[in-house]
Amino acid sequence: MLTVSVKWQKKVFEGIEIDVSLPPYVFKAQLYDLTGVPPERQKIMVKGGLLKDDADWSSIGVKDGQKLMMMGTADEIVKAPEKAIVFAEDLPEEEQATNLGYSAGLVNLGNTCYMNSTVQCLKSVPELKSALSNYSLAGRSNDVDQTSHMLTVATRELFGDLDRSVNAVSPTQFWMVLRKKFPQFSQLQNGMHMQQDAEECWTQLLYTLSQSLKAPTSSEDSDAVKALFGVNLRSRVHCQESGEESSETESVYSLKCHISHEVNHLHEGLKHGLKGELEKTSPALGRTAVYLKESLIDSLPRYLTVQFVRFFWKRETNQKAKILRKVDYPLELDIYDLCSEELRKKLEAPRQKLRDEEGKKLGLQTKSSSKDGDVKMTDAEAPSNESGESSTAAQQEGASSSEKGTHMTGIYDLVSVLTHKGRSADSGHYVAWVKQESGKWIQYDDSYPSVQREEDITKLSGGGDWHMAYIIMYKARFVSM
Amino acid sequence: MLMGLCSTLFFQESLGYRLTGSGGDIGSWGHEYVRNLAGEIAEEYTMRQSEEASVEDLMDLVKQIVAFHMKHNAETEAVDLLMDVEDLDLLLAHVDRTNFRRTCNYLTSSAKFLPGPDDMLVLDIAYMIYMKFEEYPNALQVALFLDNMQYVKQVFTSCTDLLRKKQFCYMISRHGITVELDSEMVADKDDRDMLQDIVNNTKLSEGYLTLARDIEVMEAKTPEDIYKAHLLDGRASSGPSVDSARQNLAATFVNAFVNAGFGQDKLMTVPSDAASGTAGNWLFKNKEHGKTSAAASLGMILLWDVDAGLTQLDKYFHSTDNPVLAGALLGVGINNCGIKSDCDPALALLGEYIDNEDSSVRIGAIMGLGIAYAGSQNDQLRSSLSPILNDAKAPLDVIAFAALSLGMIYVGSCNEEVAQSIIFALMDRSEAQLGDALTRFLPLGLGLLYLGKEESVEATAEVSKTFNEKIRKYCDMTLLSCAYAGTGNVLKVQDLLAQCGEHLEKGDIHQGPAVLGIAMVAMSEELGLDMAIRSLERVLQYGEQNIRRAVPLALGLLCISNPKVNVMDTLSRLSHDTDSEVAMAAIISLGLIGAGTNNARIAGMLRNLSSYYYKDASLLFCVRIAQGFVHMGKGLLTLSPFHSERLLLSPTALAGIVTLLHACLDMKSIILGKYHYVLYFIVLAMQPRMMLTVDENLKPISVPVRVGQAVDVVGQAGRPKTITGFQTHSTPVLLAAGERAELATDKYIPLSPILEGFIILKENPDYREE
Repeated sequence: MLTVSVKWQKKVFEGIEIDVSLPPYVFKAQLYDLTGVPPERQKIMVKGGLLKDDADWSSIGVKDGQKLMMMGTADEIVKAPEKAIVFAEDLPEEEQATNLGYSAGLVNLGNTCYMNSTVQCLKSVPELKSALSNYSLAGRSNDVDQTSHMLTVATRELFGDLDRSVNAVSPTQFWMVLRKKFPQFSQLQNGMHMQQDAEECWTQLLYTLSQSLKAPTSSEDSDAVKALFGVNLRSRVHCQESGEESSETESVYSLKCHISHEVNHLHEGLKHGLKGELEKTSPALGRTAVYLKESLIDSLPRYLTVQFVRFFWKRETNQKAKILRKVDYPLELDIYDLCSEELRKKLEAPRQKLRDEEGKKLGLQTKSSSKDGDVKMTDAEAPSNESGESSTAAQQEGASSSEKGTHMTGIYDLVSVLTHKGRSADSGHYVAWVKQESGKWIQYDDSYPSVQREEDITKLSGGGDWHMAYIIMYKARFVSM
Repeated sequence: MLMGLCSTLFFQESLGYRLTGSGGDIGSWGHEYVRNLAGEIAEEYTMRQSEEASVEDLMDLVKQIVAFHMKHNAETEAVDLLMDVEDLDLLLAHVDRTNFRRTCNYLTSSAKFLPGPDDMLVLDIAYMIYMKFEEYPNALQVALFLDNMQYVKQVFTSCTDLLRKKQFCYMISRHGITVELDSEMVADKDDRDMLQDIVNNTKLSEGYLTLARDIEVMEAKTPEDIYKAHLLDGRASSGPSVDSARQNLAATFVNAFVNAGFGQDKLMTVPSDAASGTAGNWLFKNKEHGKTSAAASLGMILLWDVDAGLTQLDKYFHSTDNPVLAGALLGVGINNCGIKSDCDPALALLGEYIDNEDSSVRIGAIMGLGIAYAGSQNDQLRSSLSPILNDAKAPLDVIAFAALSLGMIYVGSCNEEVAQSIIFALMDRSEAQLGDALTRFLPLGLGLLYLGKEESVEATAEVSKTFNEKIRKYCDMTLLSCAYAGTGNVLKVQDLLAQCGEHLEKGDIHQGPAVLGIAMVAMSEELGLDMAIRSLERVLQYGEQNIRRAVPLALGLLCISNPKVNVMDTLSRLSHDTDSEVAMAAIISLGLIGAGTNNARIAGMLRNLSSYYYKDASLLFCVRIAQGFVHMGKGLLTLSPFHSERLLLSPTALAGIVTLLHACLDMKSIILGKYHYVLYFIVLAMQPRMMLTVDENLKPISVPVRVGQAVDVVGQAGRPKTITGFQTHSTPVLLAAGERAELATDKYIPLSPILEGFIILKENPDYREE
């Protein structure tokens, strides 16, 4: 009979008797009573190893009064989770792309940054992407010429490639087709393709797409591109000399922001852009007279494109000069006062609703903590933003006719900025800055996408030699009623 | 004869007159005369030595001069003269209570600059003087420096005070060597058990946690707390939706390093609820071999707390998943690092897995044993590990880790049999195997056997010349650098530098260990260290790419846990290098130099690097590991192998660091491959950088201390201040690199003059409350 003490975890059990005539299993059973650890899970350290169930006590050489150490728990044994965890490294390359949260960049093929940045900006419009994916080879209507068709297909392919790839995509096919369709982009200078005006590329591309994406029924409504980007303007043309007045409507794809000495802000520029003078023959006077043209927005697009008129033709130097003036633009644009009376009436109710919703959220938040309301403001906006997005998605499914649920508010959120850096339109560098669905801003500098802070986006407003906004795109905020 | 004497004395005029003159009091001519005389004696002595002439008349004079110097506060000059005439023993007769400290101080610090075997001789004298004046803690320090167990024993037998012996035990435990106390050293059995407990480091965990509670850093930190992604531009919201195995593995390591020794964290030790064990979940968020590191991280979190560690690791022992089991085994080893116990739990638990059929389990067990028994020279382990080396069927990785573990266990022992087995293993390797990245662990294991043992390596170095040329030079460099590690031997630094100066054809890898060798040899004292840093800058400019990859690592070793600004700048520059391996090495080294310091500047650099490299998974992994290093133990730990005012070099700690650095020489195939758990070798060097005062019953007590920058007072006149720019704290306190503490109260007397680690305080009987 031996007496030993056993140390288990932080406890010491003193004076445990060992009957050396019985196998160690009996001793383990004794310990089971004390610790609750089943014998098969007990590990008892003795000289030279672990105590075996069938060992002989005499050969182990346990001495009277010795301190033994036992290891073991009655805990549950760790099991692997039933559902295997999927690691990013295991995923195929295509899926890794989606995990980055933004898509790949585009390789510069030699002064093609104007095209790359245009493509990146347009790609950020999901509705355009889905319209393109519905465009099929068979659905080609006869009034679309071969090159337009090819360009549309190339655009679709390029968008698809960008979504799938992790590394920068080379838009070779797209570029070839674009040059075929618009030979002006093939201009050479010193054997190199020249830098082009991104605005021209943007307009032409959008025009082509609008032509080819027209449904075969060719009614006005089914023009997908127009539904997305088209702005209807109603203009009042007025001649001060004769007092003649006429009104006309037109549809444009972008608003112009004219930059003059008084313009410091996008809003002023837009107002300026909607007013114009033109000379035409007055039937009343029988000679050309100056007419004043004042336009107001008659219908709102889902995506509002604004072009900063930064380039003008300088006659004395015979080149396109750039206006470097700083023109601020907001992340959230309200164009209510640029709208026509009828449209304003329509907007009243949804705007009220939006205000109520925001107020409610704010009100709730102020109750919980009255401090730093500024921060809360931005917080509160985010969810409303999301609901807007989800509703547009819903809207899409149910075709454009069922616009019962959601309404335009005349409020727009900035989603992409195309900037230019340099002193003239045909030189310098174009870069796209696009807001992702996750809310992150990504700068697409040709093949290098990089994450940017939101506050840096509004700093692209010009006034120096830094990148400055040339074309910006806003997305409408909807409210469900 | 007389003529000859005169001719040699022609230049030593005063010495000539003194010898031919009447003698008389040597001091009557003043200090300058004596000093001049001493100089002439030194010259005359060397001249006569070369002519093999008698020096007896000179020695008489020497005795007079030494007696004069020692009486007149010129101990340094007395020592210099005696060193010149090679008769230091004379010193013993002339030291007294008033000047022995200054004398010994000069002796020990000059030892670093002396060539062998003079340095040993000098330290021997210092030891004898300390023993003569019963200054046992210092004597023990010198004995440990000399690695002379006989002296260590003598200290114990000469001292009769039990409390002081306890202090000795604390000093030995900090040094990390295995000492069995016997009845001669401590007579009473109960006392012996208690002292042995201290030597075995069983109280380390308790002391460390006391420190942590006092500083209020017990709260567990998550890897995200370390990454501080919210301070980076625009990346805050970028939480990936899918788990990345690489990133999770990095998080596992960061979590382990940061919470090392605290016994709690937020990933591994969280109590698992019955339905979905969170702890289990994190384990399985690591992929395959990643699970090994994850399971082992539990051992790191519960570092030094063997009871709790074994309890927590137990659940993994029943896993059917081999990587998990391997991790559990490794975890036990890590958990027991530096802690010895007569139950030998690590050996009992791991022993039976050494010959497991799964090689990952085998490696786990072997590496665990290497870490747990580093420096123990355990024969039982040798007999079970050695056969693996010469087993023709064993895979290369198992052999490599077995060699490494044997090197650790027998570190600095010069054990012939182990050396033989490793040499045979190296000879048996095929051409292809010699090209494998892991093969480098074989020469390294061999080198560790001779760590700091200088000439003892020569026989083995001779044998290594017969190896296959693929590994020969690598082996040569590794042996040389290990053998002279921490000696500051300038000649060896030059040898190694010459190796780095060669421009080789591609494929030769031996320049890596040569560069590391420069750092290993030169790291022991400040002056050589600064010179090495400057030389490495040169090497960086003119060296080939394989050298450039090793330079950051060498810098990391030189300034480990000591973030010098100039080195930090160099590494920061290299961390953006176009060669990704240079960048990786620089990033890891940034972590090493800041290890355990929480250095804000390095933390900021690493944070920026994490955003700079966010797309490169490998570099990002390195950045994460470095971040884990910098915040190691939440800033309570150090990796520096030097302790006791930078005099002593812990061999096991150095072995751990050197192993990690050698693994970093081929980052891609080892750390970024499936052997990332070699990172855990760093545990050997992890020590709390604390000063904890305990009373006579070894319970912590708080006393005021002044902590400031240490001042070098060697050879200075009077009683200069030993610290500068100090602040007063109450214990326990943290000591940064180059800092020194002194008690700010007379109420207690510390039992060791070196205020580091555990310090026993005795009440001052002469103290009166004011």
